[in-house]
Amino acid sequence: MKLADESFLTDDFLRQLINVGEVDILVGLPTHNNAKTVGPIIHTIRSGILRGFPRARAVIVNADGGSRDGTPELVTGISIDDLRPASNLRALRTLHSISTRYASSPASGVALRTILAAAELLRAKACVVLSPESANIEPEWLSKLLHPIYDDGFDLVTPTYRRHRFEGLLITNLLYPMTRALYGLRIREAYSPEFGFSGRLGSQFLGQNIWSDGTHGAGVELRFTLAALAGRYLVCQSFLGEKERIERSAADLVPAVRQIVGTLFSALESGFPVWSAVAGSQTPPTNGAEHGVLLEPLRVNRKRLRDMFSTGVAELETVFQSILSPSTLVELQRIARLGEEEFHYPAELWVRTVYEFAASYQKSVISRDHIIQALAPLFRGRAFTFLMENRNASGDEVENNIEALCLEFERLKPYLLQLWKSRE
Amino acid sequence: MPLNRDVLWYKDAIIYQVHVRTFHDSNGDGIGDFRGLEEKLDYIQELGVSAIWLMPFFPSPLRDDGYDIADYSAVHSSYGTLEDFRKFLGSAHDRGIRVIIEMVLNHTSDQHPWFQESRSSLNNPRRDWYVWSDTDTRYKGTRIIFLDTETSNWAWDPISKSFYWHRFFSHQPDLNYDNPAVREQMWNVMKFWLEMGVDAFRLDAVPYLVEREGTNCENLPETHAVLKELRRKLDEEFPGRMLLAEANQWPADLRPYFGDGDEFHMAFHFPLMPRMFMGLKLEDRKPITEILQQTPEIPPSCQWCLFLRNHDELTLEMVTDAERDYMYDTYAESKTMRLNLGIRRRLAPLLDNDRRRIEVMNGMLMSLPGTPIVYYGDEIGMGDNINLGDRNGVRTPMQWDGGTNGGFSTAVPERLCAPLIQDPVYGYPAVNVLRQNASEHSLLNWMRSIIAVRSSTAVFGRGSIEFLYPANHRILAYVRRLGDEAVLVINNLSSTAQAVELDLRRYKGNILIEMSGKNMFPRVGDQPYLLTMGPYQFYWFRLRRI
Repeated sequence: MKLADESFLTDDFLRQLINVGEVDILVGLPTHNNAKTVGPIIHTIRSGILRGFPRARAVIVNADGGSRDGTPELVTGISIDDLRPASNLRALRTLHSISTRYASSPASGVALRTILAAAELLRAKACVVLSPESANIEPEWLSKLLHPIYDDGFDLVTPTYRRHRFEGLLITNLLYPMTRALYGLRIREAYSPEFGFSGRLGSQFLGQNIWSDGTHGAGVELRFTLAALAGRYLVCQSFLGEKERIERSAADLVPAVRQIVGTLFSALESGFPVWSAVAGSQTPPTNGAEHGVLLEPLRVNRKRLRDMFSTGVAELETVFQSILSPSTLVELQRIARLGEEEFHYPAELWVRTVYEFAASYQKSVISRDHIIQALAPLFRGRAFTFLMENRNASGDEVENNIEALCLEFERLKPYLLQLWKSRE
Repeated sequence: MPLNRDVLWYKDAIIYQVHVRTFHDSNGDGIGDFRGLEEKLDYIQELGVSAIWLMPFFPSPLRDDGYDIADYSAVHSSYGTLEDFRKFLGSAHDRGIRVIIEMVLNHTSDQHPWFQESRSSLNNPRRDWYVWSDTDTRYKGTRIIFLDTETSNWAWDPISKSFYWHRFFSHQPDLNYDNPAVREQMWNVMKFWLEMGVDAFRLDAVPYLVEREGTNCENLPETHAVLKELRRKLDEEFPGRMLLAEANQWPADLRPYFGDGDEFHMAFHFPLMPRMFMGLKLEDRKPITEILQQTPEIPPSCQWCLFLRNHDELTLEMVTDAERDYMYDTYAESKTMRLNLGIRRRLAPLLDNDRRRIEVMNGMLMSLPGTPIVYYGDEIGMGDNINLGDRNGVRTPMQWDGGTNGGFSTAVPERLCAPLIQDPVYGYPAVNVLRQNASEHSLLNWMRSIIAVRSSTAVFGRGSIEFLYPANHRILAYVRRLGDEAVLVINNLSSTAQAVELDLRRYKGNILIEMSGKNMFPRVGDQPYLLTMGPYQFYWFRLRRI
C-alpha cells in the first residue's frame, strides 16, 4: 500500500476545506474564463441555496481551470459571513464560496474530481454540479436537483430539458436509446453539465480507477451517470425547463462522438454483469415533465450530412470491414448510393451498426479511437434520416419517433449480447 | 469581606439571580424565605458571585410571580419580614455580596391600594395615577406583549365603568407617569429601599412607562425623561448605587437607555442571548458576531448585562421570523415548551444536558463584554417542568440534596410552593448541590472554577473586544484588552474537533498562558497560530510578553 503520495488538491484548497468543515449541501461549479457570465449564475446559486435550504450547511466549490479573467475572485466574492453580510438576503448561517485552480489545462474531469474530493472531505450529503454556461439557470434548479437527494434518498438526479427537436441528435439517436436499452432506465440526459448526486455516490465514483488514463476525464459526467446506473444507485430526473447555453461556435462532431460514444462503449465492459441481465426499460421517478420539444424552424445543412456519410462509407470501407458484419456494410453501401430524396437510414440498421461498433470496440479489432471516429460519418447519415423524418413533425410525433428508435435498441439488445458472447 | 467601594463595581460583578420563594425554606411552611436565603449565603459566596438579584418579594396576589406588586414598601409575609430582609442584606454585605432588587415601575397589581382608590371614583385624588379611557381605541399602534393570554392592552373596569391601560396582564394596570405625583411616589419607594442599603434596582419593563397617541408607546422620549430624573436623584442622594434596565429591545433602541451615562448603568442585552443558542446549534459564529457588530458603543461608565437563562421564557422577540422558526424547531420541538414568543426551558434541558455545551455557553457568557448573570440552579444543571403553567416550569425549588424535598423545605410535599423536579435525569436525587459538592469534576465545581478565573482579572468586565474572524466559521475568537492586559478567547461552537488558524501577528512575541491550568502554549510568531479544538472546547489565554 502506498502511504505517501502527491495530492491533486493544493494545500491552500485543503486549508479552505478545513475552514468550511462538514456540510449538508455542496454546489460544484467548474469554470474557465467565465467572468462575463458567471456573476448572475453564482448569485442565482446563492439565492437557490438560501431559499431552498435556509438551514443547511452549504458551500459553493469552484474548480477553475486557470482562468485569467478573475472568475475565481467573482465566485469567492459571494460568500456570506460575519464580515460580508448579504445585502438583500437573510442568511441564518455562513455560506462559504471557495475556489481552487487545478494545475492541468481546463478539463471537466479534473474539475469534477476536485469537486468530488471536496464533497468527500466535507462529508456533503447532497451535491450538485452546475455549468457556468447555463444562461437561464433559476434558483429553483438547486431545489430540483438537490431535494430528491437531500430529502428522498436518491443518489443521482439528472435533468430533463425542453429542447429543440433537432438539438442534441447524438443524444436522441444514440446515447439516450442505448443507455436506456442497456440499463433499463429511461434517462433522457445521461450526459449533462448539470446534475445532483449523493455523497455516497460521489465517493464511490471518486474511488474508481479512472482518473489516470491521460484523457483528463473527457465525458466524465457521462461516466458518472453510467457508474450510477451500473451500481444500481437510485436515480431520478428533474425537469429544469428550456436549455439555453451561452452562444459558442458549433462543436465539431468527432470530439463529441469521442466523448459520448467512447465513454459509453468503454463503460460496457465493467457494466456487463448489470446490463446483460436487463430487459425492457422503465421511466425513473421524474419531478416535472419528462421532456419537452421546441419546434422553431432551424437551418441545417442536410445535403452536407448526406454527402459526408456517402464519402465516409466509401473512404473507410477497409475500416468498416473490420468493424461491421458483411450484411450491415453491404446495406450501408447501398444506401450511400441513394439520392437525397430516396435516402433512408432505417432505425434497425442504425441499431445494428451501433451494436456492431460497440462489440468491435470491446474486441479492439483496430485502434479504439479509430473505431469511434469511424462512427462519425455513419451518424451523419442517421442524423440526415432523422431530420428528414421529422422535418414537418409535431412535438408528439418527434417524441414517437424517438420512442420507436428506443424500442428498436431494446428489441435488438439480444443481438448485442450475441456479439458480446461471440467475442468471448 | 467588605464591599468593593468602586463606583463601577457592577462592571466587575457576577450576578446570581435568585427567587426567595424557591431558594430555601427556613420555617417549614413550604415557601422559601429570607431567613432561608440568608442560611445559604455561604453557598452563594463559595460560588464566587459578587451580587444577588432578587426577584420580587413584595406583598402581591402572586398572579405573575410577584411582578404584580400590591405594596412596594414591605415584604410578602410568606418570605418573612422587613427585619428578615434587613438582616439578610447585612449578611450579604458582610460577605462582599451586593443585593439588587426588583422595582416594577410600569404597573402595579390591581389589588394595590392605589388602584383600588383610583377605580373607586372618578373624583378620587388617585384617579389619575393610572391610565384611564372611555374607549379601548386609543394607542392603536401598540403591540400586545402577552399574546397567549391577552387580546387587548385595554381592560374594562366594571367599578369605574371605563377602560384602563395595561401592557402586561390585565390584572396589572399601568401607572400614569404623566402624573408628577406618581413619579414622586415611585422615587420615594426606591428611596425607602436605598436607605435600607439596597445596592441596585433592576427596573422592570421600562420602555412602557409613558403612552402617546400615534406611537407604539415604547421607548418614548417622555419615558427617557422619567428615567433620567430617577437617575439624577439616585446619583445625588445615593452615589455608587446602580440601575439595571429590563428593556427587551433591539440594540439600537436600547442604546438611548444609557443616555450619556446619565440614565441606566446597565441594560440586558436581550438579542444576544437567543443568538448564542442559535450559533451553538448552527455551529456557526455568524449570529453572535452579527448582533455584536450591530451593538452600539455605550458610555464608558455603562455596561451590558448578559445572561443565558432567567426566570422568563427564552425570549425570541428580538429575532427574525426565520430565526424564530429555527429556534422553535431546534430548541422547543414540543409546543408545550413555547410561551408567548419564547421558549420556557432551563439551560441544561435546552442543551440536552450536554456538559460540553453547557460549559462553552457559560464560557461565552463569562468572557463576552458585559456582566454575566447566573440563574439559580443552572450552576448545577437543574431541569425544568414544562407541565407547570406559564413560566413556573423554570421556577421550581432549588435542589440542595437528595433527601426530603431536595433539601429545600421540611414541609410535606403537598404544601410546597412548587413541585420539585423529580424525573430521573434532572430530579433532585440526581442533580443537587450536596452531590456536586462531593465531586471534584461536577458542574457546580466547574462553575466555581470558571467564575474564579473570570474574577481574577478586570479585563472581562471592563476590557475592549476585538473579533478575530478566523476562516473557520465554527470558531468564535476574540481578544479582550484592558490597558496592557490582553486575553485571547477561542470558542469551538462545533460538536466536532476543529482546526483553526488565528492571525495573531499584532501580538507577535507573546506567550499564550491558558488561564485555567496556567500552562504555556507556543509563542506567537509571523505565521498563523494553529490550534486544534475539541468539540465545544474553549480556551482563555492570557497574552504575556516576557
